[in-house]
Order: sequence, then structure tokens, then C-alpha cells
Amino acid sequence: MINVTKEQKGEVLVVRLSGSIEESVNFDQLIGPPPPDLHVNCKEVSRINSAGVKAWIKYFQAAAAKGTKLRFLECSTAIVEQINLISNFVVTGEVESIYVPFSCTSCKAELIALFKTVDLKANGLTAPELKCTKCSGNAVFDDIEEEYFGFLSR
Amino acid sequence: MEKTLLLISADPQDQAFAAEVAVQTGQSLRVIADPKAAMAVIAEGSATTIFADVSTARLYTTLESAIQETVGLFSDRINANTIHFLSTPDLQECTYLKDSPIFGNFVLKNYGDPVEAGAHYSRIVRASLSDRAFGLKTLLSADGKIQPIQLQVSSQKQEAVEAVKKYLIAAKVHSRMANVVANAVDELIMNAIYAAPADDLGKPLLNATARNTLIKLEGRNAIEASVGFDGKYVAFSAADKYGSLDKAKLIQHLSKVYTEEEYKLKTNVAGAGLGLATLFRWGGSFLFSTEAGNRTEVTFFLKRFASYKDFKKQFRFVSTQYYL
Repeated sequence: MINVTKEQKGEVLVVRLSGSIEESVNFDQLIGPPPPDLHVNCKEVSRINSAGVKAWIKYFQAAAAKGTKLRFLECSTAIVEQINLISNFVVTGEVESIYVPFSCTSCKAELIALFKTVDLKANGLTAPELKCTKCSGNAVFDDIEEEYFGFLSR
Repeated sequence: MEKTLLLISADPQDQAFAAEVAVQTGQSLRVIADPKAAMAVIAEGSATTIFADVSTARLYTTLESAIQETVGLFSDRINANTIHFLSTPDLQECTYLKDSPIFGNFVLKNYGDPVEAGAHYSRIVRASLSDRAFGLKTLLSADGKIQPIQLQVSSQKQEAVEAVKKYLIAAKVHSRMANVVANAVDELIMNAIYAAPADDLGKPLLNATARNTLIKLEGRNAIEASVGFDGKYVAFSAADKYGSLDKAKLIQHLSKVYTEEEYKLKTNVAGAGLGLATLFRWGGSFLFSTEAGNRTEVTFFLKRFASYKDFKKQFRFVSTQYYL
């Protein structure tokens, strides 16, 4: 079940999605008529099923067709996976930032870190090593770079 | 007559893989690189299992032509359930397999350790040699725990999905792997509820029904679901009582790639047509067992890894078992 919080920031409507997106989602009701500028924060989207993908594309395609400028921020790993799998998942929108998964080589903790896509591109689509927030060990990128960052080179 | 696993391949990795499967399933191994030469073994009827390297279109068409010219594609010597295509490219890249009349099983040759992969895959081969390849027990080790999931109405699906996810996270399964399994539970239950019901002619009954429509899961609409975990492998299965799964459509769904063409919304069907393709891209393996008009059981399973990167690179396969 998805929850949506909305915040108007000047001309921009910022919506924050949290939870899982599935067949019960109704973006028309949750977000309302698409505004001229829509920023979608996906940090807390844990999962999206196929019916949720269909509803997502339907809403954002209609929004883009009406001229809405779309920007997706803080995309969770679940959202990044969909962006990589479906070429038109973000329609005409811009992906500003994504969460990148890491794994600690010492304590095996699962970690995520936020990166701006522009910085990832500047870094040659590679993730830097990080310090584990739990044990200070080395944390390395835990996915396949060509796949996880694939959408950035499309 | 002695049971023979016939391997048609010149790849040493395939030989190590097949040798282990043969040992585990009590079959003798015969390796013949040339498809035409291998037809003699098929013609004499001793090949109980056939493994064939189909990594290129040429290898596949040579195999298909050899079968066509000797025993025939629809001969009683050819049972797609026991034919296993071994391929270096993934299924979506093997466009020449999409319309194959002898498609039964597809193995992606990222063996890692071919002996370990063979030991794992021998469960599928054993199941394919049985009367009916149903049930999670055949796919997990003997000490695996299998938990049935009871659903009375379709709206209980999400509770089941979240319960399985919590169970796996409590068992220290990587959270993204637990998410993949949660999505498998979601998609397979949704397919069993909404995609499986069909009339006697195979026409879908709920094709246009919205996926949040409440359906009572009773009578022929009842579904069976269970999740299993043996410490090393996680498996989930969902079964319906229609046995309506169409193999050609299934292969098309699994092969679909939405990175090269846009996903197009269809307004005349309620399903998205994305679920199986997405699951297959993420990693993990499938066993589809269908007894026509009676039962379809779809099992999704994957090996547990400490890292998601290793999980995505794991050895995997798709098995389809059809019974008339």
C-alpha cells in the first residue's frame, strides 16, 4: 500500500511516495491532476509490482502529455530496477538522484547511499568505496554497474 | 533399458555439468558433439534426457533439422519435457528459440562451479523424469521447511506477500533478495487468481477484470501456495486448478525486453504482462508444470547469497513441464 504526502514549493508540487505500489494504487486520487512542475520523491518506495508499474506509467504518461515537467528524486533501489527494466518508466522525466546499494566487506551490512545522477555520470558510472556506517569497514557497490547504472547511458 | 542422458555439446563446461546431473539422477552419460550423429541415440529410444548446446542460432537450427530429418519433431522419441537447451546468451537474446516446437527447458550457462550447478539442476531433471513435476519438496533439500499459505479471497494477497518478506528478512536473507521473492509471491498469486481462469476452449475468463477486484478463492478458483527455505535455496510456488498456461505465450512473456522497446499500455486487458519477464530479469529460476485443463503450478526459486551482486550472477534456468 502506498502513502503519498504532498508539499507545494512555489511552482513545484513535491510528492513523497512511501510503501509498496500495487494494484490498489490510484495516482489520480493520491496526487490529483498533474501540475506544471511535479517532483516525485521515491526514497521510501520499497516495492512495485506489475500492476503498479502499469498504473505508474499510465499516470505519468498522461501527465507528460499534458505538459507536466517531471523530476524523480531519491529513487530507491526498487525504482531504479524498474527504470532499468522499462525504457519509458520515467516517461519524459529527469532522474535527479538515486540510492545506490553497498555491502560492507567486514560486517556484511547492507547500506545505501544517495548520489546525484550528474555526479555518477561525471564519475564514469562507477560507485566509489564508502566507509561502513556500522563498523567503519570498507563498503563496496553491491550490484552490477552496467545494469544498475544502465539507464544513465541510454 | 539403461537410462541415458545424451549431451549434444563440445563445451567441456557442459560436460562437467551434465556428468554431475547424470550421477545425481542415475543416468549414464553419452556425449556426442555432432547433432546428426546424436540422432542415432534418440532414434533407438534410449535417451531419457537430452541436453543440447544451443548458444547460437546455427547450433539450434542444426539440432532441429537433425531431429526433423531423422525421428521427426513430433515423434514419440521427442518429449520437450526432457529436452534441456544449454545457452551462453540469456533467453531474451535467443530469438531463434521463441518458436521452437521442442522447447522444454532453458539453462543459462553461467554455471560458476558446473558440478555444484549440476547437483542443483539434477532436482529439475529428476522432476522432469517423474510422472508429474509438482510440489516444492522435490526442489529443496530434505531438511527444508515448507510453509503453506492459505488465501480465501484475493485481497489477502498483499498480507501473504508481506508475511513472506518478513519471514525471509527474519531468516537473514538479503533485503533485496527478499524483495525479489516478495514480488514473485505477488506476481504468481496474481497470475493464479486472474490469469489462470479459462473456459473449456482456453479463453481467459478474467482477462479484463481489474487486478484489485475481489475474487473468492473457492471451488475451481481456489489456489494453493507455499513458501520453502532450506537455508541455501528459497522457493515459492502457486498453483491453480485450470491448467490453462500456454507455453508459447509464456516463452514470449519471458523473452520480452522492455529496454529496447517501450512498454505499451493495453486498455483491453487488465494484466500488465510484465510480471514474469521482470522476475526473470532479476535472477532466480522458474519451474512451470501444467496438466492441461487440471492444474498449473509455477515455482520460483533462487539461491541465497550474502551479496546481491552474486545473487544476480547466479546460475539459473526455466523449466516447462507439460502433461496432456
